Amino acid sequence: MKDNFGTHRGILVAYLATITLLLFTSLVSTGFLAGAHLRSMALLAAFIGIVALGQTFVIIGGGIDLSVPWVLNGAAVFVTLFAHGHNEPLLWAVPLLLVAGALVGMINGLGIEAAGVPPIIMTLAVNVILQGGILICTGGAPTAAAPTALQFLAVGRVGGIPVVLVIWAVLAVTATILLSKTTFGRYLYALGANATVAKYSGVPTLRTVVLSYTLSGFTAALVGMLLTGYSGQAYLGMGDPYLFTSIAAVAIGGTSIMGGSGHYIGTIAGAFLLTILTALLPALNLSSGALQIVYGIVILVTVSLASEAAPKLLFWRRPLSQN
Amino acid sequence: MIAFRSPEGMDARTTGAEEWRTRFEDRAPFLVACALLMVLMAVYGSLRKNVFALEELNLDTAAAMTLLLAATGQTIVLLRGGIDLSIGGMISLGTVLAATHFGNNPARATFWTLSIVMIGLIVGMINGLMVAVLKLQPFLVTLATWSILSGAALLVLPTDGGSFPAGWMRFGGASWLGLSSSVWLLVALVLFWLWFRKTPLAVAIRATGSNERSAYLSGVSLVFINVATYGLSGIFAALASLYLTTQTGTGSPTIGKDYILPSVAAAVIGGVSLFGGRGGLLGTIVGAFIITVIGNLVFVLSVSSYWQPIASGVILLVAVLASSIAEKSARRNLV
Repeated sequence: MKDNFGTHRGILVAYLATITLLLFTSLVSTGFLAGAHLRSMALLAAFIGIVALGQTFVIIGGGIDLSVPWVLNGAAVFVTLFAHGHNEPLLWAVPLLLVAGALVGMINGLGIEAAGVPPIIMTLAVNVILQGGILICTGGAPTAAAPTALQFLAVGRVGGIPVVLVIWAVLAVTATILLSKTTFGRYLYALGANATVAKYSGVPTLRTVVLSYTLSGFTAALVGMLLTGYSGQAYLGMGDPYLFTSIAAVAIGGTSIMGGSGHYIGTIAGAFLLTILTALLPALNLSSGALQIVYGIVILVTVSLASEAAPKLLFWRRPLSQN
Repeated sequence: MIAFRSPEGMDARTTGAEEWRTRFEDRAPFLVACALLMVLMAVYGSLRKNVFALEELNLDTAAAMTLLLAATGQTIVLLRGGIDLSIGGMISLGTVLAATHFGNNPARATFWTLSIVMIGLIVGMINGLMVAVLKLQPFLVTLATWSILSGAALLVLPTDGGSFPAGWMRFGGASWLGLSSSVWLLVALVLFWLWFRKTPLAVAIRATGSNERSAYLSGVSLVFINVATYGLSGIFAALASLYLTTQTGTGSPTIGKDYILPSVAAAVIGGVSLFGGRGGLLGTIVGAFIITVIGNLVFVLSVSSYWQPIASGVILLVAVLASSIAEKSARRNLV
């Protein structure tokens, strides 16, 4: 019961913070709540939100995925290399790269659960190995332009609704069902809460861990290709910002970085919060340095408010009298 | 793990041979790292002349020193069972503050050198307070302060630049008895560690990293330990930034991020456990030199410099697998 309350408080804090920020922003910046602007922000939030989906699963299971940047970048670079600006090769390139991303995640999961390498080290090593490999493949030069079909997926609309938002909505519903309604979800929470207890209670730890990292590899590769369509090309280093934002979105969304609690519903709020902040600061004439400072403070504040220790510190009770 | 090493804590059944074996397994990751460094040096030496000369030692130490200073702080934090990502922001902030405020005046340079070290200490203490009082995860707290410090660095100096007094830049070239200032710094670092690891503070840090609850029940103040641990890490990050400026001669608001994960990697390759309590600075020094020699090897083999991250990643995995196997077998022997 108490755990449930803690989880919900974190998600509640995230949504309250997001709505407050949105209202504040609409006060200082006219036209912020206009349809077109909201839509473009939702698009950016979707990229963060989809990467953070895999990260949410990994973190709930008690791990962390630092290999996101170069899985994302690898999918982005190879999709342009395979397609050469044409649409037809996408039919096999996109599924192939999604499987490749999932495979990288699977390797992460196997290294962590089967070989006992700590998640930080395993995913960090995979990240730098991928980085080196991709740089060698491309010779460090940018690649061809994104095919038009990919650009449609990223910025196009179906009946006024951006395609990316449709993809995000489908993924969000899937993630919610996976976490709340399936045994895999239950296993994941159990594993994140206490790996030893979970193991002795019969949770198939290997399968659960591998599946969570596989999901993370899959979503990172997906966003890599969508981002390529969004910016019209792939470039080296495009994944780097997503390491910070994916973890930040999960943390702001009320998921404990220790694992065992939280929900993807909170991460969605985290993704929106980070995007609104990014859009807010140019409106206030603040530089990118100030943006990073605000990012840090927002993480600290939301995480502190959701922390178990916060109520005890905020509502100071006098110690009982000694006599 | 301290209790297991001391003879009085040993079970009566434990014989001398078993104790020796336990000690060996406890240090196995460190020994693996030493063997790895020797192999790498042998390969490097066979590819290039004069590798085993003082000049090479001077060069390699200078190349490894910034990482090593950053990794010293990281080692202390890892021993406590935490992690410090904010050192990246502190290194960036240190270099830009030095580059913009030193001017050409020794008194000002001295004042700002001390100020930068103080900033490192204060930032680290704030990290420690948040970890201890708010019960937040070190990874998140230091991720947030990393972001804040990098932002501050960008506000101080948006792009690489700034200037340093001429005397400041001469530090790297100075030498005594044929050994460069960097090597003497390394000697000082080793002496510091040999003293520090025996102090009550270091023992308490290691004990807290080994088992927080039993350390607390033995009377260790967790707030004090966290503040001291992260404070020390902040000081070493500040020192790393100052050393870096003597090498590069510029301030850079983004350079710090290149040292965050390598500092963890150097420590882990050298046998420091991510779970706290195990390892020491000597291992980290070996780890930092392994990373540096890999860079040299890639250069000598004249393959693409992009092979360097691949080689570091593979070595990191090998080292961790070796120590995880050693840890498992050590645990089996203790149970």
